Amino acid sequence: MEEQIDLVGKAFTDHYYHLFDNDRPALSSLYRPSSMLTFEGQKILGVEDITAKLTSLPFDQCQHVISTTDSQPSTFAGGIVVFVSGSLQLPGEEHHLRFSQMFHLVPIVEGNFFVQNDIFRLNYG
Amino acid sequence: MDPDAVAKAFVDHYYSTFDANRAGLGNLYQEGSMLTFEGQKIQGSQSIVAKLTSLPFQQCKHNITTVDCQPSGAGGMLVFVSGTLQLAGEQHALKFSQMFHLMPTPQGSFYVLNDIFRLNYT
Repeated sequence: MEEQIDLVGKAFTDHYYHLFDNDRPALSSLYRPSSMLTFEGQKILGVEDITAKLTSLPFDQCQHVISTTDSQPSTFAGGIVVFVSGSLQLPGEEHHLRFSQMFHLVPIVEGNFFVQNDIFRLNYG
Repeated sequence: MDPDAVAKAFVDHYYSTFDANRAGLGNLYQEGSMLTFEGQKIQGSQSIVAKLTSLPFQQCKHNITTVDCQPSGAGGMLVFVSGTLQLAGEQHALKFSQMFHLMPTPQGSFYVLNDIFRLNYT
């Protein structure tokens, strides 16, 4: 069971950051009206406002490089908490930004997950 | 009570207990609690406290930089913390991030269901 959780967590974060780095508007498929994002302390509620926030971040291109992914079952009807650390490379910027992010994933009937909770913080040196 | 205030109160209590009396963390976890500490997975209050009390330092001080919280559903609360950890005798503080998933107890407080800790290396 534990291994399965790790696989699911890793598969989800791979998919999430791939979308973020290549097709940010498509992130809307991963959120719902009940979803919550706290982005550097700013609280945003619902798929529409969350997508608007992420697509309006002040850079066109970026690349997430993931260092660690930790997953645990959250026992909310098959939910999973995922904790990620890594770095974010912006074109033209010499130094990567380091970040940590946590997701609370809730299963949908088809066997996929949506992001119910999302908290993002840059790790300043 | 305001969720942000609840989260802050929990965080203050958790880290002051950690820094003063690590064994006292036992009543914040239950049998079903899970800790992932720098990638190592530990389950249950007893094993978790055994891990935390056996960490290779006597004294430490957590300094909290940011606390973010969100309700996770059915009364649960997710808390995301970043800060530094100062070990006695070490010149440089370690940076860390930690997330807690808190669940309410019948007595009206919270216990830690999920706990994930990572040092932030530069």
